[in-house]
Amino acid sequence: MEDKKTAADVEQSVDPKKVEKSPSGFKTIWKEIMKDKLAFISLIFLVLTTLSVFIISFVLDQEQIVMVDPFSLYESPSSEWWLGTDYGGRDVFGQLIIGTRNSLAIGILVTLLSGFVGIVFGVVSGYFGGQVDNVMMRIVDFFMVLPNLMVIIVFVSIVPTYSVWTFSLVMASFLWMGIARLIRSRALQEKELDYAQASRTLGTSHAKIIFTQVLPNVTSLIVVTMTLNLAANIGIESGLSFLGFGFPESTPSLGTLLSYARNPQTLEFRWWIWVPPAVLILLLMLAVRNVGEALKRAADARQRRA
Amino acid sequence: MALLRVEDLQIYFPIRGGILNRKIDDVRAVDGVSFEIEQGETYGLVGESGSGKTTTGKAVMGLNNITGGDIYFEDNHLNPGKGKKVDVRKDVQMIFQDPYSSLNPRKRVIDIIAEPIRNYEKLTKKQELRRVQELLEQVGLTPESIYKYPHEFSGGQRQRIGVARAIALKPKLIIADEPVSALDVSVQAQVLNFMQQIQKDLNLTFLFISHDLGVIRHMCDKIGIMYQGRFVEEGLRDEIFTDPQHIYTKRLVAAIPDIDPRRRQEHQQYREQVKEEYQNSFNDYFNEDGLAHSLKSITDTHRVALPERG
Amino acid sequence: MWKFIVRRLIITMPQIVLLSLFVFIMASFMPGDALTGQIGPDVDQDRLQELREQMGLNNPWYIQYRDWILGVFQGDFGTSFRYNMPASEIIQQRMINTIWLSLVSLIFIYALGIPMGLISGRYNDKLIDQVITSYTYLGFATPIFIFGLIALWVGGFQLGWFPTGGSVAPGLEPGSLEYILSKIHHLLLPGLAIALIGLVGTVQYLRSEIIDTKQKDFIITARAKGAPEQRVYNRHIFRNSVLPIAAFFGYEITSLISGTVFIEQIFSYPGMGNLFLESINIRDYTVVTALVLLFGLAAIIGALLSDIILSIVDPRIRIK
Repeated sequence: MEDKKTAADVEQSVDPKKVEKSPSGFKTIWKEIMKDKLAFISLIFLVLTTLSVFIISFVLDQEQIVMVDPFSLYESPSSEWWLGTDYGGRDVFGQLIIGTRNSLAIGILVTLLSGFVGIVFGVVSGYFGGQVDNVMMRIVDFFMVLPNLMVIIVFVSIVPTYSVWTFSLVMASFLWMGIARLIRSRALQEKELDYAQASRTLGTSHAKIIFTQVLPNVTSLIVVTMTLNLAANIGIESGLSFLGFGFPESTPSLGTLLSYARNPQTLEFRWWIWVPPAVLILLLMLAVRNVGEALKRAADARQRRA
Repeated sequence: MALLRVEDLQIYFPIRGGILNRKIDDVRAVDGVSFEIEQGETYGLVGESGSGKTTTGKAVMGLNNITGGDIYFEDNHLNPGKGKKVDVRKDVQMIFQDPYSSLNPRKRVIDIIAEPIRNYEKLTKKQELRRVQELLEQVGLTPESIYKYPHEFSGGQRQRIGVARAIALKPKLIIADEPVSALDVSVQAQVLNFMQQIQKDLNLTFLFISHDLGVIRHMCDKIGIMYQGRFVEEGLRDEIFTDPQHIYTKRLVAAIPDIDPRRRQEHQQYREQVKEEYQNSFNDYFNEDGLAHSLKSITDTHRVALPERG
Repeated sequence: MWKFIVRRLIITMPQIVLLSLFVFIMASFMPGDALTGQIGPDVDQDRLQELREQMGLNNPWYIQYRDWILGVFQGDFGTSFRYNMPASEIIQQRMINTIWLSLVSLIFIYALGIPMGLISGRYNDKLIDQVITSYTYLGFATPIFIFGLIALWVGGFQLGWFPTGGSVAPGLEPGSLEYILSKIHHLLLPGLAIALIGLVGTVQYLRSEIIDTKQKDFIITARAKGAPEQRVYNRHIFRNSVLPIAAFFGYEITSLISGTVFIEQIFSYPGMGNLFLESINIRDYTVVTALVLLFGLAAIIGALLSDIILSIVDPRIRIK
């Protein structure tokens, strides 16, 4: 009699706020990254680069950097210009900082945009299945066979108002299919789980099941895929800028600097203009990939345990 | 008036193939099944795996598309897309077979049990908490459990959580799909007895799906036996267990182990005899496709799938 | 197997129709039409209307689409705005160059990728495998244009082994041996640049495939029977792992295409990818449209070929 608590007692004894919300995956992820030295170094490199690039570019006078200075064309590296100047007499180091910032920002923006489209598309297709899935997957198939690079270039060159947003939108509209496919195949499995079906019998709406049952279970997949996509998107953006279909020179990205090497003279004799951005692109892509791979392993390990 | 009436239910799944991936054939998971359940009784659906019993249950629940036939609940048409849209979800609930996979491992007990309440009733946090605690007590779990996760419970306890979730909306009909077959035998009886207790307390009606005749005999008032998507026999418990008419039923009943060691010899003999009869007269009881014939009434409550010639 | 091939062919048709529709819609967004560049600025409006009517430019879109498609089937891709000559003629020469470049790249991919994959798989976790794996790890993350620049800088400028641009040395008689040799010489470095990045997938696939196959029962049986190691590799593992690789070339086309765009630009190689960039820059949209359609077709047909070859080589694929 005494040890039987009433509901009211418990209500007072348990404070809902103190109770942990869900078993955290962050610990596992952290452990996995700590275990993998390469991923750990990559993460530190990324954090440092991002921070320093954003802080320095805040201090730098951007307008002055992109201003043409006819008296200091093609200066080699010196104490005044750490990485020399380009054909317009502009400071390469300053452009590198701003370029890295722009490349990172665009990469993240495109990844988020294409990820959003892909996730919505994939989840809807996989969750509803049947004919809906059939039609939606044919659309994905179609986008997959398009020569995406060329289509993006065409659209970039014909959009009437050209800005960071339209550029990112154009890129995202042709880069969402991979994640859509991945998410779809997982959503197909998730909705067949007993507890998702149970939710249907309890009168929970489709939208709510998608948000509370399906999406949380594919989060790790989403995070991994988006990280790996970020690496790819940084590469694609610099590629487009390299070809001259990215940003104008007034807002340089890493690819813009690299595109100066299309001039054979620059490529042959003025390494300081193109080698630093090339190395930086490589390092950024490698670092993001390393972190992504570590995340992937963390996600897999958790699946194994469950 | 029957609480649930199923008439000539058909559920076919298409087999696709050929060059254009068109439908070339059907799997007839459920093929012309009819039965009625009265308020307060427990109706048992028995059959081997693949016989269509779970598909029937899911169709009543609205989880499967129906190819043909009608389902009425309190005379409301339940088929999706047919008749006026009556939301009877609240009145029909389900207990799932596997208590490990039917509870979301990422949710706390309070969120699991409150899910239907949140869908249908507007309660304050405090009222909701009290309701969930009451439900937990009703199914024999301590109210302190509400902030735990499913993996902190044993199988039997998990199934109790499943039951608490199913009765949260005070439904009239509960479909129990093999509710104890995933549990240890030692826990099975406990959960079954507790389900009967709940049934009495809440005046519930059960549609009880199982392959285990022992469990069915313990729980059910009326029994339908399915084979390959069709009924072979339907009747009251005593009719089925003491006077099975169809050879398939006979064999099932004969397979129930007898606990009395003194009658072992006798039982063994009976079983052999039924086995022989089954093999000899299989063709009389099933048509050329190996399917059961349509049901004929023997008494008011007892129907058997016998061939035309009687 | 025939069933699979026929079904696969049937899927291809709507893909091609959709692609053509997409390209047509894309083209309609582009400024200018078939009259741009053909007439002087001082043509009066009535005459312009008349011409438009004549050329079917005022027709509803589906009629225009039909006319366009019928033209394409006869090899008529419209007239270049800039050069005032048929787009097909402009493309033709460039196309031959690109086909050669892709072919050389493919040969390099297989000639280098297959041995690398085989060695890496056979001696996995030995030093040689670690070297190859590190290479594929780097190669996987390296964008093709960075690698192309480095290749040109090293092979073209620093070492001076290869020409740094064009498809043939000027002043040579077409058809002569020197001409052909010069062509090949110009192809080697860009082809190698594409291949050294393009072979990464092949190497990784082959390596994991071989490591997998090594543990299979039939290989262990072969060893148990006393078959010499070399024979086990030649007869059993090679056969099982390499044949599917050979079929992948069709899927490679998509990445080859984007590879050629960058590489042709870097090496100023007069191919389709370079033409595409030039045409975009001078807003010659008939040529752009034709090129996108051709690239798209190449990808579709490549995937089709690969699927069919795979279905012959590997029966498992037919089941899906």
